[in-house]
Amino acid sequence: MIKSLKQGFRADFFKQTAIAPLIMFRIIFGAMLLFSSLRFIMKGWVETQYIEPKFFFGFLGFEWVKPLQGNLMYIPFILMAIAALFIMLGFFYRISTFVFFACFTYVELLDKSNYLNHYYFLSLMSFLMMLVPAHRDFSIDAKLFPHIRRKETAAWHINILKFQLAVVYIFAGIAKINSDWLFEAQPLRTWLQAHHNLPYVGGILKAEVTAYFFSWMGCIYDLFIVFFLMSKRTRPFAYLAVIFFHIVTWLLFPIGVFPWVMIFSTTIFFGVKFHQQLLNGLKRLFKWTENIPETIKNIPTPKPFVKYGIILYIAIQILVPLRFVAYPGDLFWNEEGFRFSWRVMLMHKEGHATFYVTDRETGRTIEVNNTDYLTVRQEDQMMTQPDMILQFAKMLQEEFDGKTFSNKEQSITLRNPAVHAEVYVSLNGRKSQLFIDKKHDLTALSYNLKHRDWIEPFEK
Amino acid sequence: MLKRSVGFVLMLSVGLLFSCKDKKDKDSEENEFNKAEMLTNVSANIILPSLTQFDAEISDLKSSFVNFKNAPTQANLDEVKMNWKASYLTWQTLKIFDFGPIRDIGFKSSTGTYPVDPAKIESNINSGSYNLAAISNLDAIGLNALDYLFYNSNALAELQNNAAYVEYAEKVIQKLYNETQSVVNAWSSYKSTFNESTGTSSTSAFSEFVNEFNRDYELAKTAKIGIPIGKANLGLSNPEYVEARYSGISFDLLIESIKALKATYNGKGLINGKSGLGFSDYLVNLEKTSLDNTINNKFDIILSKAEGFSMTLEEAINDPSMENQLDELYLHLQQQVVNIKTDMTAAFGVLITYQDNDGD
Repeated sequence: MIKSLKQGFRADFFKQTAIAPLIMFRIIFGAMLLFSSLRFIMKGWVETQYIEPKFFFGFLGFEWVKPLQGNLMYIPFILMAIAALFIMLGFFYRISTFVFFACFTYVELLDKSNYLNHYYFLSLMSFLMMLVPAHRDFSIDAKLFPHIRRKETAAWHINILKFQLAVVYIFAGIAKINSDWLFEAQPLRTWLQAHHNLPYVGGILKAEVTAYFFSWMGCIYDLFIVFFLMSKRTRPFAYLAVIFFHIVTWLLFPIGVFPWVMIFSTTIFFGVKFHQQLLNGLKRLFKWTENIPETIKNIPTPKPFVKYGIILYIAIQILVPLRFVAYPGDLFWNEEGFRFSWRVMLMHKEGHATFYVTDRETGRTIEVNNTDYLTVRQEDQMMTQPDMILQFAKMLQEEFDGKTFSNKEQSITLRNPAVHAEVYVSLNGRKSQLFIDKKHDLTALSYNLKHRDWIEPFEK
Repeated sequence: MLKRSVGFVLMLSVGLLFSCKDKKDKDSEENEFNKAEMLTNVSANIILPSLTQFDAEISDLKSSFVNFKNAPTQANLDEVKMNWKASYLTWQTLKIFDFGPIRDIGFKSSTGTYPVDPAKIESNINSGSYNLAAISNLDAIGLNALDYLFYNSNALAELQNNAAYVEYAEKVIQKLYNETQSVVNAWSSYKSTFNESTGTSSTSAFSEFVNEFNRDYELAKTAKIGIPIGKANLGLSNPEYVEARYSGISFDLLIESIKALKATYNGKGLINGKSGLGFSDYLVNLEKTSLDNTINNKFDIILSKAEGFSMTLEEAINDPSMENQLDELYLHLQQQVVNIKTDMTAAFGVLITYQDNDGD
């Protein structure tokens, strides 16, 4: 049994297979990255998300990652666009994929208020692309260095990309198996009724039964679409479903380029023949001259460290989204183990947080205007996420330490002030409940991965 | 297997279409809420009447000031002050709608910024060279600059004897007048855009309306009461931050502002008395009747607390015995934020961000 598993693994991952799907994926992926990098710059988001904010919410363990000064923040984005173009063309491929991965991940690590599952997905995919030789055919590299040309490649080069997509879908599906999603049709019910003014479909979208239909179908789709994409027989229908599903989400929800990323990425599941034909078409179009040795002399032997590396990566990808089981309490409420887990469009949280900076000597208090320190987007994200509430409290302590407040009669200088917060949160259309009680001095709490017992319990 | 699953999906879809049809018919009998209708009501019965009235009052202010300039008597100044106060009260409704034409020209900040900086106003007057359109002069123009110019202790003497002072007031009024004209004109073409923009993106008129409603409420809470009573200053009061400090009408303005927000919430026009769909009806439609009651009750409590002061806000701040009463008013103002910003907005499915972004 173990032996056959071992062999199966060896056979599946190191078997030589046609390189065409990998080459096509490189081109599609590079084009997508180019489009989204340019879009990000054009929309002015570098300015609003990385230059305007005064405070940044770093990730635990990565708080040392700091933004560049002012307009220098454009540099990583411009580098990303250039690297994406080079990835598409297969020009200095290994360097380009590294540059893209490094810049993209750097930017994502700066501020968790910009965290999106699809950014995390792009970060992982660009990491994987850095490891696979997707430049060994129909690329400028292959033109310049003909000896790198190959017709075949190790199966894991393609399968690891499929695995990554499977992880996204299947965990997104598993995350939907919860009572709010399935039995209350929330948050879809809230989001869909907001479209009641659309001509023709407005009435349908508002109907309760539609929210249930979308919820259940979304869950089933996410759980099983990968399997239907893998089977040759069901693939055409499955891909139609992919297009339909993601276009509907694109039309109804403000989710930017994510639907398009998925529509294009899932082409990796198509058969070799499909990719081969597409690639041949492109080659004819660009008058590409084939010059690949018919037999590759040295088929690379599977190196053990590659195998263990792949196993480790797979294990991490499966365990990270499951880490939430280590925490007590309600996952959506506490958000402990929530990120990096493909919980996409899963809940609707609205909050209101009032922070109080208190002088320990006199007991006098300042009510903080959050927007003096945070952008609207940052404030909006912070108000419902406990780790960010804690981070903000610590920023406030530092900010107010040593500041003097006065009027005509008195003057008080704050020293090492206490910071309390009163936070109310509404989850999935419920009436808002107390989220963080004012009684906790947040500056006395430490920011770590332990369960946060200072979050008020959630009542359904 | 495949055929069967395709069949299943088709069946479900057809079933869904039929069931929706029934549902829709039933809905239209029971419940008629419609965002487009709400926006039409808000523009026709709230925004446009306030804008028309504000326009008329600013015109009256302008012409009464010309009269005063020709005959600088106390009686003529009283006429000016009356028009100023009337327009300031109407402004309390108009300032809620800081989007479209009002935001395009920065009308909210150029009209309603407070506190103004008297030293800056005086130095502008003395130097004679100033650009009222400059951002640095935002706290030297608008209705609050007029509050200072008409009501400070030397106002009458200055207005009667100091030509530069009169000219400054005239220019502030002229700027208000010009900007009001351009908002009035722009709204006549923006109206249809507003009425039809019912989408859920953060840039749709509906979302902007919800967001600005919340922002205006919070601004009223913080700037009209919170900052003056010292909420941002370790509880050390700041009377110099009181709105309309010189005329002492700050409680009138607060009350009018809360009335305007409450009326807007309920879809009611304060000026023409007509009423239609508002946020309140949307909440009831979404089966959130108890939240709707909570919000209306809270507005009423705030109004009764604010009406309980028989003095100016500055006097109340300076009277230690009034501290609890002010804190109580502020607490109620604060409690309403959660009702409208969190619960109401969550029910509507609106995004509280002011920028378009990639969601996930």
